[in-house]
Amino acid sequence: MTEECPSSERHGERDSQLSAMFDGELTAAECELLARRLSRDEALRAQWSRFALIGAALRSERGVILHERVAWRVQSAIAQEPSYGDASGAEGTNANTPRVPAQATPGASQSAQSPRWMRFARPAFGAGIAAGVAAVSILWLRTQEGPETMLAAAPASESITLTPEPASITVAQTTTPAVANEPAIGGTGEPERYSTPAPSSQASFAPPAHLANYVVAHSEYSGPLARRMALLGIVSNEVQPEAADAPRSEPAEKKPATGVRGAP
Amino acid sequence: MTAEESDLVLVKRVQRGDKSAFDLLVRKYQHKVVKLVLRYVRNPAEAEDIAQEAFIKAYRALPQFRGDSAFYTWMYRIAINTAKNQLASRDRSPIAYDLDLTDPEESHSVQTKLQDPDTPEGMALTEEIRGIVNSAIEGLPEELKTAIVLRELDGLSYEEIAAAMECPVGTVRSRIFRAREAIDKRLREVFEGGLGRTEEMV
Repeated sequence: MTEECPSSERHGERDSQLSAMFDGELTAAECELLARRLSRDEALRAQWSRFALIGAALRSERGVILHERVAWRVQSAIAQEPSYGDASGAEGTNANTPRVPAQATPGASQSAQSPRWMRFARPAFGAGIAAGVAAVSILWLRTQEGPETMLAAAPASESITLTPEPASITVAQTTTPAVANEPAIGGTGEPERYSTPAPSSQASFAPPAHLANYVVAHSEYSGPLARRMALLGIVSNEVQPEAADAPRSEPAEKKPATGVRGAP
Repeated sequence: MTAEESDLVLVKRVQRGDKSAFDLLVRKYQHKVVKLVLRYVRNPAEAEDIAQEAFIKAYRALPQFRGDSAFYTWMYRIAINTAKNQLASRDRSPIAYDLDLTDPEESHSVQTKLQDPDTPEGMALTEEIRGIVNSAIEGLPEELKTAIVLRELDGLSYEEIAAAMECPVGTVRSRIFRAREAIDKRLREVFEGGLGRTEEMV
C-alpha cells in the first residue's frame, strides 16, 4: 500500500490539475501540458467527462439525459472530417489554416502561385509561339524548295514580265534544255522572243495539299499577316500554271462584280 | 487563467490538428448545449440531434474562430441558430409527419421519431445518476460541499469562492477536487466500467 503512495500522489496531483483545468483555473503552461496528455489518455478523458456529468447532475438540468451519446456521435462524425493544421502538434504553425485535401482543388497551387495577368496572357503567348513556329516552318520549307520553286512561287504578274533576264535562261537551261534552246537571237544580239520557263513538276518539295493542311491546322494560332503570307504562297504554287496560261482572264472575271455592285 | 482561456487552449489544439481536444470541449459542454436547445424543442432526442449538428458545424467553422469571444458563447450562438433553422424547416414542411403510415418503412421511421424509445430509459438513467451525485454530495464534509456547490451551481471562480470561504485559492482548488473525486468514486462504483455502459443500456 505504501509503495503505491508516490504513484497515487502523482495521480492525485494530475487529477487535481484536471479539475482545475475543467474550471479554467489552471495556468496556461500547465493547461497546455495537460491538454497534450489528455489527447493520448482515454482514462483521463473519461474522468473529464465525469466531471462534466457531475456538474450537469448537480444543476438538475431538466430534460437533459446524462449520457455521452452526443459526444460519441460527434466524435464519430468528426473522425470523417479532415484535421486542421499540423496534426503532429507543431506549436508554431498557423492555427487558422485548415488542411485542404489535395484532390479537392486540382491545379489550385499553380493558379495560386501565378499572378492574375498570367491567366489572360498565357493563351496569347501560346498563339504567338504557334504562329512563329508556323511561319518559320513555312519559310524553311520554301528555302528547301530551291530557287526554282522560289521562281515558281513568285507572283504571276512577275513571271510574265517581258524583261530579258539571262538568269531565267540559265535556269531554263538547267531545268528544261529544250526550252532554253528555243530563243532565236537576231542580228542585233537581242532575243526576238521571250518565254518564261515551264514550271517543273518536281519543283515543289512538299505537296501543296500537305502544306495547305499544315497551314489550316495552325491557322487558329497564327496572326492574320502570317496566315495571309502562307496562304498566298500556297495559292501561288497551285495557280501558277493556270495563271501563266491565262493571265488576262482576271479582269474579265471582275466585270460582273462591278456590275453587281452598281446594280440598284 | 479563466475558463475561456482554458477552452481557448483546447481550441488552438484543435486548430493545430488535435481532434481529441474538440472531443473534450464536446464532453464539457454537451449537456449545457442540449439544455439550451431544449428551450426550442421539447423532444430530448431531437434536442440531442440538434446539439450534435451544432457541434459538427462548430468543428467545421473552427478554423475561423479567432477567440474574440469565449468558445461557449460562440458555441451557444451556433446551437441557437441550428435549433431555429430546425424549427423553420419544420414549419416550411408541415407535412413532414403526415406520411403514409401504410408503408412499413415510413411508419417505423415516424414511430421512432415520435416515441423515441431511447428517451424513457435515458431519463431513468439520468435520474439514477442524479440520485447518486446528490447522495454523494450529502455525504461530503461541509467545506467540500460548499466549495463544489458554489462552483457548479453558482458559477463562482476559485478566487470568489476563496473570498467567500475565507481561505486560500489553493485550498479551494483542493476542496473542489476532493469533492469531485468523492462523487466520481461513487459513480464508478455504480457504473463499473465507466459511463460507457450507459450507451449499452440506452
